[in-house]
Amino acid sequence: MEATVKKYQQKFKKVKDDMDRWDDLHARLLSQFRNASSIIGRLQLLDDPKNYGFLKDIDNVKDLIFGKQMESLQMIMLSMNKTLEELNIIILSLAKTYRDAKQQLKGGSIQFSTKQLNYRIGVKPSIADCLEGLRLLHEMHQSEYLLKSSVISALAGLALNPSVNDLQAFERLLVDQPNIPKEEVQSVYDVIFAEEIC
Amino acid sequence: MESRVSSSSETAHQTLQKSAPKSSPSSVNRLWRPAAQRNMKNQWSKLNSLRQEWASSSSAARSHATSLVNAYLSQRFMKDMELGVLSDMPDIQKKACWKLLKQQVVHRDNLLSSYKEMVGTVVNMVNTSMSLRCFLKGGINSPLIQFSNSSNDTNDNGDGGGMPVFIFWSISAFEKLASELVQMFKLELNLKRLLVIEFLSLRSKEDSIIEKLCWSDELYQGEFDDLSRCDLDCREASESASTKLDGFVSENIKQPNCQPDSDVLQIYLTAWLTDVNIDKKRVEDIFSEVGEEMHVNLVS
Repeated sequence: MEATVKKYQQKFKKVKDDMDRWDDLHARLLSQFRNASSIIGRLQLLDDPKNYGFLKDIDNVKDLIFGKQMESLQMIMLSMNKTLEELNIIILSLAKTYRDAKQQLKGGSIQFSTKQLNYRIGVKPSIADCLEGLRLLHEMHQSEYLLKSSVISALAGLALNPSVNDLQAFERLLVDQPNIPKEEVQSVYDVIFAEEIC
Repeated sequence: MESRVSSSSETAHQTLQKSAPKSSPSSVNRLWRPAAQRNMKNQWSKLNSLRQEWASSSSAARSHATSLVNAYLSQRFMKDMELGVLSDMPDIQKKACWKLLKQQVVHRDNLLSSYKEMVGTVVNMVNTSMSLRCFLKGGINSPLIQFSNSSNDTNDNGDGGGMPVFIFWSISAFEKLASELVQMFKLELNLKRLLVIEFLSLRSKEDSIIEKLCWSDELYQGEFDDLSRCDLDCREASESASTKLDGFVSENIKQPNCQPDSDVLQIYLTAWLTDVNIDKKRVEDIFSEVGEEMHVNLVS
């Protein structure tokens, strides 16, 4: 039983790596979002010929600048979708880790009773603790991924009808990652690696 | 990297040939190709690093311009600002304005020096794009066969009689692409100069230190020499200068004296950012086409 717990602790280290990668991608997505949002915020301004100052005397300048900005916006949108895809790879990896852990329990040579599953030796976590932790971490990231995807697709809609308030709200939503409360993640790890803290 | 390796091996080849006795025209032709290839690779990799140089000075200039605009706007709106508890402090607004003004001076200097770098880069681009030919140095009868990219013989036009330098393209094909490329940067420099003038002319009503600039003012010592080297001459009357910008209408220079508001300034900064005259995709295409022809990877 101890050996099984040890194996599961290894899995949590792997999940930690996945979450670190998640953080990098989250930061990337955020900076891409900010770039996109500053372009979208400018679009109305760009649409009004009065704002062009001396530039208005250059032929087509409005179309040129507008077109170039739309082009960059499109590029950013594409790269945001790429970032989302990479985030999804992490979700898949988290799901696999959890699934494997469950499989091992069922397919393993030793069958544990419910009592054994919940049995804690000293500060070590029980097998049930480990499984629940893996499930929780996967679920948090999964829901956060869904939130992020819907924010990004809603952003495309905002480009047609820009609103500064919406842009700011979206950005807050992305920054906060409401589905992944930091304390909760930490408490999962505190339980699993309690012996290392002591 | 690749071009370095091959060029050093060709140098060795060249020195070997130097010791050879008198040369016949056919051997001149034979030797012209490696020399022309080496030169072509060097000049294009130079163009490639120049466009990166342009990008970095252009973005530095943009951030200086942004700071300048911000300092200017803060100074302008200082009078209407709610200062809260700070309003009890004596002369607080005056001091803040003074400080913002000093900041503007710093940002203006920075903007100007980045602009100067950009002009320098375009001058180098123009020079590089005109050094693609490969001329025989010292005439056919000289005991050494040497090549250079500047001509001293009127009979030699440096294109090896139009033969392909690498696989398919003659010198003039390369030149055409180089001039298409450089033309975009020249036009963009022209537009950026107009924007620089606008940014440098920002001033509030109270201060008389900053003078309104116009198109025919020299922005830094020696600017006109630099600009004339890239066929952009500003000394002429503003009308003719401005026509050089594609589709540019001349009246713009005689601007009303009013200062642009924040929306307009934001458009100016956006215009700076977008590089309207530079078709990024075309630039990439040119470098990848040329790189392919020369078997050198110019696009990373």
